Amino acid sequence: MTNPPQAHEDPSELVRKTTEFQILQRVSADINSTLDLDEICDVALRTMDELFEFHHANILLLEPDGQTLKVVASRGYENQATGGRVQIGTGVIGVVAQKRKMLRVNNLGQQRAYAAAQRRETMKSGLQASVGEAVPVPGLANAESQIAIPLLIRDELIGVFSIESPVPLTFGDHERDLVSIVANQIASAIHNARLYEDRRRAAAALQEANASLEARVAERTAALERELRVAQALLSEARSRVEGPLLGDSTAVRALRDAIARQALSTDPLLLIGPPGSGKEAVAHAVHGTSGRTGAFIFVSCSELQTQHRHAAADATASRRPDTFLLASKLELASSGTVFLDAVHELSTELQRSLYEMMVSNDPPGTARESRLGDVRVIASTTRDLREPVAGDFLPLIRLLASNRVNVPRLVDRRDDILALVDYFVRRHARQIGKVIDGVSPDSMRRLEVYAWPGNIRELRTVLERAVLLSRSTVLEIDDELLDEGFAVGSYRLVSLLGSGGMGEVWLAKHRLLARPAAVKLIRHDVTSGAAREQLVRRFQREAQVTASLRSPHTVQLYDFGVNDGGSFYYVMEFLDGLDLHRIVTRFGPQPAERVVMFLRQACRSLAEAHEHGLVHRDIKPANLFVTRLGTEYDHLKVLDFGVVKESGDDATSLTNPDMAQGTPAFMAPEFVLADRLIDGRADLYSLACTACWVLTAQTLFEASTPAQMLLHHAQTRPLPPSQRSELPIPKQLEAILMKCLEKDPANRPHSALELESELTGVRFAEAWTMKRAREWWEAHSPDDVR
Amino acid sequence: MRLTRLPPEIRPVLENGIPAAMVTCSADGTPNTTIISQVYYVDETHAALSFQFFSKTIRNVRENPRAFVCLADLSGHASWVLQLEFQRSETEGVIFDTMEMHIEAIASMTGMSGIFKLRAADIYRVLSVEKLPYPMWTGASSDDQSSTSA
Repeated sequence: MTNPPQAHEDPSELVRKTTEFQILQRVSADINSTLDLDEICDVALRTMDELFEFHHANILLLEPDGQTLKVVASRGYENQATGGRVQIGTGVIGVVAQKRKMLRVNNLGQQRAYAAAQRRETMKSGLQASVGEAVPVPGLANAESQIAIPLLIRDELIGVFSIESPVPLTFGDHERDLVSIVANQIASAIHNARLYEDRRRAAAALQEANASLEARVAERTAALERELRVAQALLSEARSRVEGPLLGDSTAVRALRDAIARQALSTDPLLLIGPPGSGKEAVAHAVHGTSGRTGAFIFVSCSELQTQHRHAAADATASRRPDTFLLASKLELASSGTVFLDAVHELSTELQRSLYEMMVSNDPPGTARESRLGDVRVIASTTRDLREPVAGDFLPLIRLLASNRVNVPRLVDRRDDILALVDYFVRRHARQIGKVIDGVSPDSMRRLEVYAWPGNIRELRTVLERAVLLSRSTVLEIDDELLDEGFAVGSYRLVSLLGSGGMGEVWLAKHRLLARPAAVKLIRHDVTSGAAREQLVRRFQREAQVTASLRSPHTVQLYDFGVNDGGSFYYVMEFLDGLDLHRIVTRFGPQPAERVVMFLRQACRSLAEAHEHGLVHRDIKPANLFVTRLGTEYDHLKVLDFGVVKESGDDATSLTNPDMAQGTPAFMAPEFVLADRLIDGRADLYSLACTACWVLTAQTLFEASTPAQMLLHHAQTRPLPPSQRSELPIPKQLEAILMKCLEKDPANRPHSALELESELTGVRFAEAWTMKRAREWWEAHSPDDVR
Repeated sequence: MRLTRLPPEIRPVLENGIPAAMVTCSADGTPNTTIISQVYYVDETHAALSFQFFSKTIRNVRENPRAFVCLADLSGHASWVLQLEFQRSETEGVIFDTMEMHIEAIASMTGMSGIFKLRAADIYRVLSVEKLPYPMWTGASSDDQSSTSA
């Protein structure tokens, strides 16, 4: 066994080596075909059997403590050694593990006997202290020959492979080499199996961790969802108080929110005043939501209620008034809550009275006090200021409502909020219809920010909802066409607000098809329902038709008229570039007399035609005399605002309050104050003279601290001649004409506008007001206004 | 028959584990006999003996490098007598490590780790090898503290 290979080996030796080679080849294949540690050990031990025909072998692996080896596989022992342990440095196996070198011992029994004899001698010689305890090691008790080989992976010990024999001198160099080969295979296979096992355990741990993580994520997600639901509920609750129209940070809306907060603490009736579409219902909701009232928010459309009222009045058989019954029902529903009376001005006097009685008595009418209502907060809305009652108003109700009011601003008065409102409406509508909209393009946003929004927030919402619906992109584009859909009167789209006053608003508008600019005047009216309204509409139409028939080049041209969705009457007039006399004087001071005369003559021509048609302007004043350029003609004057014209001698219902003096106090004729006189065109001549004096002096005819005082002056006080109040020269002839026009008695004034124009034509000046002077004036003072 | 090299057939005898007798002589000619557990085969012309605790033997060898070792070949019913000459003492290297592992493996199992310590591997040159066709029995000298009478 220890003989070195010979150059000419005998056939039996070759057969033996071939067999060994085949065994080693097979063990290599078998041992690497599995990643199971038990199978690897089994292959290794079986191979030892086949190679050496002996039955004693151990595979030991290093324990995690690095100090102990544990028998993981054992073969051929009477008492299985599996599970036995060897300390590093103890016995053949322990020393091999410690030195990491193979050790072959062929005389183990003799060596142990010799050592035992030495031990006894040492004990006898009194050196017991230096002698330790004999340590049993797993394996063959009577082993004589042993080869132990360290199992190393990259010089790192993983275990020891040991074979034993009870026969001395069993293992030679040949056996040593064969065992080394097998041991290397074992080490490699065990290492792979361990790596696999480590990865399997890691994968299992990872899987377990994943499962745990998934469970934790699911748990956390559920918790977050719960938190989200709570947050959404809180947000919803918070937003219910500043819903949609109340979003924003403008001064106007902040003031509105402050008002809502204050009103929420009160139970008094509340009146919300604002233009159509401004968000009055949202304000009412917010007041209700913030108040903490436990009852419901009940919406009542006064317009619908009024319609039912008319039908009930026609039905004499009705045993119970359905209108008041409905109102009572609504109030009952709103017990401990809020009833919102939308457009309360639409109610008839009778219903207003019923409502008032309910509010005051807190009992529903017709119930014979059979069911007393709980506390109901009444919030009403209107588009007009009820502090100025009109015919049909039940004054106690009006006074009750108007005593506690909140003004809801127009959208143009809170432009800073448009961004927030756009974001809110776009997101809300996109979510409702399941679209993804990231936002509005910058161009569109600029367009939205400068647009006039005559329909207020309702128009904004409509435009955005339509844009979201039509959008094929995640970025919303809103063009002029969409804005056209928003708010229009007739064939005209309102572009921007030019001005507003007591009678209404004037808007720059464009014709939808012609793109022609125009001025649209929206006229507020006081009669809101019933026959009176229908009569008013007919009258408005007739007056508008007459006005439209005026052909004077000095009368502003009327293109169209009608009633818009908001219920306002409107005129569509030609749009003029230039300045009215009010602005000219305000900006540039008193004007020379020759220019004033030229203005007056043009105004007279306009008024002459109107008066011939029986129309009285009734509101001649500097702001209604507009100076423009007509072709090459500068200082061309046009009389504006025939919206309050009235046929002579007619004092029936008009577009303004019939019980109030019409026009502007500083320029009103005495006959407007003195009710005993009929009003005709001479009232316009008085107003025209007042206007002339103001343009000459930049001062009103009289000085008064109140409109009533001013009207009283017109009725009673003789005015000072303008020359006494101006440093500019005023021809006496002109002054005489003006003073004549300012007579209290119309009979002492010029009889007609044409007569006045004729008298003015006779006034002589040192220097006439020529077209050249007019052009120079405009070029010097306001070239942009007369393009 | 005297040989000057260690023949292959002697290797099992070297590893048979039967203690051998080693005879040395001091500078003044006083002989000493001791028992050694194993003679290690280095190559055909060299053998190694463990330097553990037989101080008299070591002292003699350092004074007089010649030594005799008698090996018992029980299976062959014969004896081998090696005449050796001390050459050097190694405290590291392959020979030392192998011898140390052998000694430590046995010592650790028998509680003799503190006593069975290889201090050095003494390398001897083989001067002659003689196989005797009869068993030979030896005894240890009394002046060697650590030697054991067999």
